[in-house]
This record gives sequence, structure tokens and C-alpha cells, in this order.
Amino acid sequence: MAILSAQGLCVESLGGKESFPVLTDLNFSLEPGKVLGLVGESGAGKSMIGRTISQYLPKGFAVTRGTLEFDGEDLVSMVAERRRNLLGRDIAFIPQEPLSGLNPVLSVGQQMKEHLLRIGLAPGETWRERALKEFESVHLPHGSALLEKYPHQLSGGMCQRILIAMAFASRPRLLIADEPTTALDVTIQARIVKLIAEMQKRDGTAVIFITHDLRLASQISDEIMVLYAGRPAERGPAKQLFSAPAHPYTRCLQLANPTISGPRRGLFILPERMPGLRVLKELKGCRFASRCPNAVEACTESEPPLADIGPNHIAACIRTEKTPEIMPPLLAPGREIASTKIHLNGEKLTKAYTTAWSPFARRSSFKAVNSVDFTLGEGEFVGIVGESGSGKSSLARLVVGLDTPTEGRITLAGRDVTTNGNAEKAYRREYIQMVFQDPQSALNPRRRIGSIVTQANEANGLHNSSLERMNRAAELLKEIGLPPDAAMRFPSQLSGGQKQRVNIARALCTLPRILVADEIVSGLDVSVQAQLLDLLLKLRDEHGFSMLFISHDLSVVRYLCDRVMVMYRGEVVESGRTETVFADPKHAYTRSLLAAVPPDDVNLEWSPVLAEAGYQVE
Amino acid sequence: MRMFATIANLLVKRVLTAIPILLVVSALLFCILRILPVDPAAMSLPPNATVQEIEAMRTEMRLDRPLYEQYGIWLNQLLHGDIGRSIHFRQDVTSLIGSTLPATIELAVIAMMVATVFGLAGGLFLFYVRGTRAEAVMDFISILLLSLPEFLWSLFLLLIFGVFFEILPFTGRLSPGFERPVVTGFLLIDSLITGNISTFFNALEHMILPCLALGIALSPSLMRVLRSSLLDAYQDDYIQQARLRGLSEKRILIRHGLKNAILPTLSLMGVQFGFLFGGTLLVEIIYSYPGMGNLMVDAIRNADLPIIQGAGLTYCIAVLVISIVVDSLYLILNPKLRMR
Repeated sequence: MAILSAQGLCVESLGGKESFPVLTDLNFSLEPGKVLGLVGESGAGKSMIGRTISQYLPKGFAVTRGTLEFDGEDLVSMVAERRRNLLGRDIAFIPQEPLSGLNPVLSVGQQMKEHLLRIGLAPGETWRERALKEFESVHLPHGSALLEKYPHQLSGGMCQRILIAMAFASRPRLLIADEPTTALDVTIQARIVKLIAEMQKRDGTAVIFITHDLRLASQISDEIMVLYAGRPAERGPAKQLFSAPAHPYTRCLQLANPTISGPRRGLFILPERMPGLRVLKELKGCRFASRCPNAVEACTESEPPLADIGPNHIAACIRTEKTPEIMPPLLAPGREIASTKIHLNGEKLTKAYTTAWSPFARRSSFKAVNSVDFTLGEGEFVGIVGESGSGKSSLARLVVGLDTPTEGRITLAGRDVTTNGNAEKAYRREYIQMVFQDPQSALNPRRRIGSIVTQANEANGLHNSSLERMNRAAELLKEIGLPPDAAMRFPSQLSGGQKQRVNIARALCTLPRILVADEIVSGLDVSVQAQLLDLLLKLRDEHGFSMLFISHDLSVVRYLCDRVMVMYRGEVVESGRTETVFADPKHAYTRSLLAAVPPDDVNLEWSPVLAEAGYQVE
Repeated sequence: MRMFATIANLLVKRVLTAIPILLVVSALLFCILRILPVDPAAMSLPPNATVQEIEAMRTEMRLDRPLYEQYGIWLNQLLHGDIGRSIHFRQDVTSLIGSTLPATIELAVIAMMVATVFGLAGGLFLFYVRGTRAEAVMDFISILLLSLPEFLWSLFLLLIFGVFFEILPFTGRLSPGFERPVVTGFLLIDSLITGNISTFFNALEHMILPCLALGIALSPSLMRVLRSSLLDAYQDDYIQQARLRGLSEKRILIRHGLKNAILPTLSLMGVQFGFLFGGTLLVEIIYSYPGMGNLMVDAIRNADLPIIQGAGLTYCIAVLVISIVVDSLYLILNPKLRMR
């Protein structure tokens, strides 16, 4: 007997001037103890399923057709009070952002207490005992010290463990985990995913695991449903779906993601982006047709039905037999870096931070970057990997001159720029530009794109006439693949991927020799990520700049970078040519990082190192 | 423990920084008042005094010394608790301030309480009706309230409840014939300590109109800040997460939303309370309330320099104390600010 089942479920937005479909014709049933993976790009409607289950839908959204039953009861027509009763008890949620999922002004204990008292305690049990028991089951040691802590004093991984402990405290029958590891490091991601699996087995909970990472979903799910523009594109047993995807969209998603092992292959570039929900009504045929490499005329005539293609495996495509023919482009042969000219050189770089003066505490200091040596040659892409707190971003700040090192020397094209005075700053600006992580906050919302991308011209006052800037903006937009009329738009009118392109274009405006890119593709869909990675490679061929590429995503670094540096607690523990380091890692930390990435082959066992990093009570 | 350590830390730092602030303020006060074209020596003597007598007085009051030396003398006396003698009232400034300051503190504290109650209730109501038609009406009303100053409220309330309905007194702190116990100077506290219940209620009646006037005038900005901070807080994930845990909307609002949204409201209240000390002036005059405001007006009218200096310093200290109190409250309510 299924714990959750959807029959022809449709969700529409009715609030605005026109109604449009959000979720179309969803059918699935989830047995107790099973995991259903929901995969798709952002905007595909993955999260909307969780919101439909809780019935906390955005304003104006409503279920217009079909049923959604939890344990035989219809969740949609249920009295609100009854549904609220189920939430947190029988149906639990784990959020995407663990740090903001907890209330910042209440201690962990206060929040734990509130939840435990609501779901009820065993007779004679205090909430504190119970809380410690639940913490233990999610492998959080020192529980009693943890109860006094506030969320900001804990790491993302620890907050997520606390939220998992809360979610499983009531032994729920259904768990919805909405991208629970997207905001976390790879190693933490592996531990959290394994933890959810462990808890789920303990309680026999049914899980809906929402993720944009097909590789991850295939490792942990029993069944996967791939969503495209609010409609299922393919649904099937996880291993089968991953090893032999039937829908071209699934195949394209898979090929858009760089691999972590084996020979490097090219990335399949999905063109454009998913059609917006508002235009779906005018769309006659297959929703994916406009981006599909296999589309023929028949595809645009009517919406393809979900057809059986194997046991429990269905796909909404009329040409599934052609899907295996979709191939990634050939990878340009790895260029040997001919020139050995070194652009940037760091020697024994150290950055220490000291706490503020206080009459009650001794000042303590902490080395964010500890005696790091590195070089960056002409045209070279060097990746910096490591967990958060490993000093990657601190190193980047030293390189671009946002911080001055406490010790050590930075040489830029033969000139010592360590002191970072005004002359060095001006010199540095011509050589190095930085691309920031979050284009949403890196682009001034009140300036037009044309003015943003040519911002660098304001600094030196050269070519700063409006005509010169307009011309330069047009050139830059062409290079990054945006239409010329984008120059007159504002950042809010662009998609996330387009904004990140603008972010890159701005850094390239004055043709710097070096780019420093801090996590510039994290948080983007794989399709957009693939577009951006290939854009960077194309731009390097045209302009020959070099780049320090900071990322926590090892497959991306493997695809893009010639050399890689692995950082751990402020130090570089291993560095070398990317293929060498990834194929034969020497340092235990590098090995644990690599083991944390879900393997490319679904039949290989994923065995991340689960040993907990030492948690110190302050 | 961490909380107390952080508050102790804050207190030490703030008291240390308060010293130079007070020195600068005292120097400014002293210099500005000495530059004014009034002659304290001439004012201390009867109008028919001769030039020789005035000169002798100047020497006696040491007004012939250089300015910095005069400041030194004044500062020295200040440190010994002597702010000088009022020229007009012929009384020690300390005792004048000592008798009026408690009245003003009482007024300001109760007015702030009124403002807090109205502000929180109004803010919660504004938030509650968000997205409905009532919101537009409430919005209109809150802006209307925001644009009415406290002295207009004073006059309205005085005319309605004092003159027209004659249900509330509107002059002074106490009706004639009531016993006036003096222990701390705070009338409400003193009457309670001495068990003088009739005085307590009479004094309370006298506080109602001026406190309402001040409180109502302060509350609209509190309402609006609380409403917008609640709207911000409700954008955050932990609210959604609390809903998904099945908590009731009421509990989410009070325990999760309000606890976060109160922080910006609290800093506004701190600022308002500081202003309130100087801002009771008009209300005190309208209600003939014997507080610092009335004392200041008299002092300025009579160019009574010692009182102006003393009152100025008192305001400065009051503002510093309030800011320390508000910052400590902030530390209690916002764990993020506590020591790592």
C-alpha cells in the first residue's frame, strides 16, 4: 500500500491575469521505505511537489485536477487543521539551506524542545534526554553542549544534522528532502546523504529526494522521476534510468555534467533554457522539442504521451530509440601549455586574523591562509579545491588585493605587489580581475547591463565616453553570447545564467591577463554550468588569459583546469596536473574529497569516507 | 555565561568611551555658553549696581581669568558634584535638577511604555492585515498618525478629556491637598513606598494625558518598523520550516517572527527614548508639568547659564546610559552579537 500517491495531479497558477500550468499530469506512488528522486533544472517544478504536499503553495497557486493521497487520505481536500497535524509528525521536511532553516535567535535546545514537546514524549522522558538521544542517532556528539548553541555558531553540516534529527524525531512515514545538500561541501554532502539513507532504513520512511544532480539521485534513489517544465519527462528504476536514459532530456542532463573519473569527455551543451511556465499554454508539442537534438517535425505537433519502454519505466518521447545516439562533443585535445612564462607568483603567503580587543578574553589569532606557495602561468587555468573554511576564498582575496598578506610575497608579472599601495593597486587592476560567486548581488540592480560590463573603464578614465562604452559593451555581449539589446536591460531582466555571463564579461572588459573566479558556477543548473565552462574555454582561446578557479565541485575542476591545488585548513596539501592528481591522489585528504563525489557509473559503489571531522566544543 | 561576559565587556568598553564624550560635551557646553553675550556677573547683582561692583563680582567669580582656566575650575567643581548655583532661582543647580529630573524620567518611561504597547499592537495588526483591503486603510491611518506631532496630541487630549468631558486632570503632577512624600523623588514610587495610595492614583491620573500624547506620537513609526521587519522575517526559511513542522501560525508569529523582528524595533525605541528626554519640553509646558523641560525653558528665558550647563550634561549622560541599556538588551535578544 503506497504511502503517497498522485493521480493526474495538476497545479495551476490562477492568481494573475492569466492562469498557467505549474505541474502537469503527475502520476506516482511511493511505497514505504522507498526513495523517489526528483530531478530537473530549476523551474522544472521539483520544489512545487513538496509545497503541494504541505499545501503551502505560493499565492494564487492551486491544485486544479487530480488527487494527492497520503496513506489513503486526500491531502488537498483535507481540513487544514488535520493536515497541519500531519506535518512534523507523519510528514517531515528537510530544507535546502540548513543555516537559515533554523531560527537565528533561538538556541538549538529551544527549537528542539519546541518540536519534541509538540510531537510528544514517551512517558517519564524529559525533552532533554530525548533531544540527546536524537542527536546521537544523527552522530552528533557532545549533544548537551550543542543544546546551548545558536545556529550561527555551527557549521552548515551540523545544522543540517540537527534538522535531520528533528525531522526523524517523530519517526515520520514520509520525508521530503528538498536539495538538502546543495549548499554543503562534497564531503559533508556525502555524509548527509548517507545519514538520511541510514535514518530512512531505520524507520522505514518513504523519501522524496529533490536534487538537480542526476548522478547523486541515481546513487540513493529506488526510482527517479525527471521533470521538465512541470511535466514528468521520464520515470523509472534509478539504475536503469541512469545507465540507459530513454528521454533525450535525461541523456542531455547526464552529458552536461562533467565526469569525475575515466577519460575527460566534452560537455553536451543544452541550448537556450527551459520554456517559462507562462508560454507553456501556447506550446503545442513536446515541451523539450525546442532544445532537443533529436526533435523532428512530429515532436511539435502534439504533446507526447508517457509511454512504457520497460518494466516500470516510462518516458514522454516519441523517438526514445534515438536517445542513445546523442553524444557529447569531442573534447578539444588538451593543449600543452607551450609558454612557461609565469604571470603570478605567491611565496609563503600567510593571512592571519586576530580577534578584537576585550578585557575578558585573550586575543587569539587564526591563520586562514598558511604559508602557501603557488604560481600561475600564461594561459593556465589552475583550480583550487577544498571544503569551506579551507582558505580558498581568503587566498583569492589576497591575490586580487582585497586583503594584504600578513607574511609572504606576491609577485605579479615580475613586480612585487605585496604592499598593495595605490600604485600597486592600479597596476594590479590592469592585470587581475575578479568574478564573484553570486551574480545576483554582484551586479548593481539599478544599472543597465551595458554600463555594468564597461564599469572598468570608469576606473582609469580611458575610453569612458558613452559611445566608446556602448561599442565595447556590444563587443563584450557578443563574446559572451548575449543579444545586443541586452545592453539596455537591467540585471533583474536576465536569467541566473545570463547574469553570470554578464559577471564574466565585466571582468573581461579591460582584457586582464588573469581572472580570479570564486565558485562562479556553483548554484547554477548543470546545463547553464556547461554553457559557462565552455564559454570560459572559448574566451581563453581568444584572449589567452589565465585563471585561478575556486570551486568545491571536483568534476568541474577536472574538466576545466590544467592544474589543481588542494587546500585544507589554510595549507596546500597537494598540487599538480589535474589528471595526475585526480587519477592518483597522494594525500589522504584529496582521496577523501574524491571519494565523496558520487561515481559516474551507477553500478560502482559509492563509498565516501564517513569519519566525522573532529567537532570541538568551544 | 557568554551573555554576561559579553555584556560586561560592552559595559567596560562603553563606560571607557563615555569619558571622552562627556569631556567633549562639557567643553562644548562651557565654551558656547561663555561666548554668549550675557554677563553672569552683572546678572548676579541688582540692576542698580555700579560698574565697580560688577568688576569686583567678575573678579570674585573668576570671570577675568582665561577661558581654559575657567573651564578647569568649572570641571574641577563638577567632579566634586558642584554644578554651580542658579542665578535666577538662587538655588543649587544640583538640587534643582534633582527635583525635576525624576518627574521627567517618570514621564518619559511611562510615555515609552505607552508607545511600546501601541507600537507593538499596531505593528502586529498592520502585519496581520497584510494583503487585504484593511491594509490600505490601516496604512492611511498610520501615516496620518505619523504626521501629527506630540504637542497637537497634547492639545487634542487636553481639550477632549480635560476641558470638554472633565474626566482627567491636566495641570501639574498632583492635585492640591494631596500629601507629597519625598523619598527617591519619583512620585509614583514614593507614594507606593509610603503607602499613600490616594496620592499614587492622583499622580497616575495626572500622567495619563501627557503620557498618552507622547506615546501616541511615538507609536506610528514603531508600528511601521515592526511591520516591515516582520515582513522581512517572514521571507526567511526558518518561518517556512516552522510551518512545515506543523507549528500554528500564532506560535510562529510570536515565537519565531516577532523574536526576530523585534530587533530593529528595539533600536528605534532606543533612539526615540533618547529624543524623548529632550522632547518632553512642549508637553511639559502644555500640562504645566514640573520637569526638566520646564526648568530648561525658564533657564533659557533667564539666561541662567549654570542650569543650562547642568541640564545639558544631564541630557548627555541620559542618552549615553540609554544607549548602553539598549545595546545590552540587544545582546540579550540577539545571540549573534555575543562573544565568540
